[in-house]
Amino acid sequence: MSEESRSPVYVERMSVLFRMQHMLLILSLLVLAVTGFALMYHENRLAQALIRLEGGVMYRGIIHRVAAVFLMAQLVYHAFYMLFSREGKRELKEVWLTRRDFDDFLQAMRFNLGMSNEYPRFGKYGYKEKFQYWGTTTGVFLLSVTGVILWAETFSMRFLPKFVLDLTLIIHGYQGLLLFIILLFWHLYIVHLHPSVFPMNRAWLTGKVNAEWLRAEHPAEYEKLKGEGAI
Amino acid sequence: MKPLRSFLIAALLAAAGVALAATADAGPTVGDCQECHGDKTIEKSLPGGKTQSLFVDEKEFRQSVHGKGTCTSCHADAKVPHGKLAAAACGRCHADAQKSYSQSTHGIVHAKGVKDVPGCEDCHGKHAIRKAQDPKARTFRLNIVEVCLKCHEDRVIEEKYGLPDQKVMAAYRESVHGRAQKKSGLLGAAVCPDCHGNHMILPGDQPRSATHRQNIPTLCGKCHSGILEEYDRSVHGKGMRAGIAESPVCTDCHGEHSITKITDPQSKVYVKNIPKTCTACHGNEAIATRYALPKKRFSTYMDSFHGVALEYGMTTVANCASCHGFHGILPAADPASSVNKANLPKTCGKCHPNAGANFAKGDVHVEVTPQKALGVFTVRVFYTIFIGTLVILFVLHIAMDLLGRRRRGEPKTRGTKE
Repeated sequence: MSEESRSPVYVERMSVLFRMQHMLLILSLLVLAVTGFALMYHENRLAQALIRLEGGVMYRGIIHRVAAVFLMAQLVYHAFYMLFSREGKRELKEVWLTRRDFDDFLQAMRFNLGMSNEYPRFGKYGYKEKFQYWGTTTGVFLLSVTGVILWAETFSMRFLPKFVLDLTLIIHGYQGLLLFIILLFWHLYIVHLHPSVFPMNRAWLTGKVNAEWLRAEHPAEYEKLKGEGAI
Repeated sequence: MKPLRSFLIAALLAAAGVALAATADAGPTVGDCQECHGDKTIEKSLPGGKTQSLFVDEKEFRQSVHGKGTCTSCHADAKVPHGKLAAAACGRCHADAQKSYSQSTHGIVHAKGVKDVPGCEDCHGKHAIRKAQDPKARTFRLNIVEVCLKCHEDRVIEEKYGLPDQKVMAAYRESVHGRAQKKSGLLGAAVCPDCHGNHMILPGDQPRSATHRQNIPTLCGKCHSGILEEYDRSVHGKGMRAGIAESPVCTDCHGEHSITKITDPQSKVYVKNIPKTCTACHGNEAIATRYALPKKRFSTYMDSFHGVALEYGMTTVANCASCHGFHGILPAADPASSVNKANLPKTCGKCHPNAGANFAKGDVHVEVTPQKALGVFTVRVFYTIFIGTLVILFVLHIAMDLLGRRRRGEPKTRGTKE
């Protein structure tokens, strides 16, 4: 037993397919953010330098669209995978928002403020992970829809008045900013700066996490895996 | 026979007398003058050790417009030999030119006895004067520019009389007019006297000057008559004809001496420079207020995709002129205006073939205020508040989370039970 507790046990948290999707998401979102914000804040000197770096406003647009096609392809692939594959269906069930997440959130707040002695016992995904997942997914979806409308402007103009296109443009920009803020503040905190994982949760590279970490942060998942005999 | 003989003698004498008298009155012939002035080495000394040649090329004189006359036609006081002659009085024959000249800025200064302003001979030459239509004439269309620039590119003269900078004058050489006449030898290209006049040149700030603001459209319209017609119907043209001094004339957009083709990046009406050119007036608070012009046209354009794209070098995107037109600009309220609401589908359709009547709803220049663009304004405010609140909540949550972790025990000893 002592031997076992000293050498850490690892359990899988992200399968290869999810890690690949995650990598591609990082890549396309980064490119989209750099090219997108350069245009949104075009009066800024840094943005102007970026646009020049990207080969002028025309090539910036081409790069942005190529990355966007990539991202949208991922969104479609991801939706199909989550809805129809065995692993996806299981994950979707895990990440699906329930009433319990809201209760967990309130319970966590109560605990953090010293109003309760019990910290919620999270499953594979707690409210933090779920907020991250659904925030990003809806964000990407909204960005894709508005982006396509703006991209196909000759087509859109047939049906949409100019003020709708103006709205679309502004929603696209601010939705991008919102997504960027969520990723910067929320994602950075939960997988990098959170004391239990600092400097980084390596699951996105190795796919595995320490079983002890899982027991502390996601006890319900730990017990489920233990019950299945995975640990 | 005696009376007859005496009559004949008398007649002969009389004839000789008349002939003698005639020769005496006519003075020296060209040949007589050429006795001395045909010598290439004849010269007179000027103060300061300089010399001036007094040689007159008879061949050149004979080919000149005055070649059928004699030396005394102009030099009435010439005898053989003679001392210093009076100045040739061109005005004796050319009274109209003399009159115009005397009212011109050159003439007025010349009359004060200033010798380095041009008189007749400085532009027309002396003994070899030819008609302006003669390609060999100094005043021929393709030669006159150099004649004017001889003084107007001379820094000493420019400084002495406070004339426009050398560069202003030299810019003409590189202008579309200058290149057309110099490089292509086009007789239709505007040369100095076409705009400034010839004998009656006055500075542009004088109302009688051909180049005074109020006269500019008519002046340019002498050649560009189709454009003048269009301009006269435009809001700018009507304003200018009504005496509104701020209403732009040709030169305000195109420049003067430096006018280049619109495809030249230096041109004020090159696609990339158009927004700045229009903004010179439309962004001027005083002008915009006085004539109740819509405001923030420049900033709203530059914030639009068209503006951003143009700024970064996409020349195919719409600039001011693409939608508003240029010479024939009309206010949006005018049903004939390209930016009248009813015509917007057609105007936008020039580039966006699918833009129909439905598309034209909403402002083109979007000023993000609750009154002008409530939708965009609301979305912007909503997102700003939403994102701001979210950031505050994130930070609060993180702080609380860290606070809670201390109660859950040391983060390093993972897995301790609560």
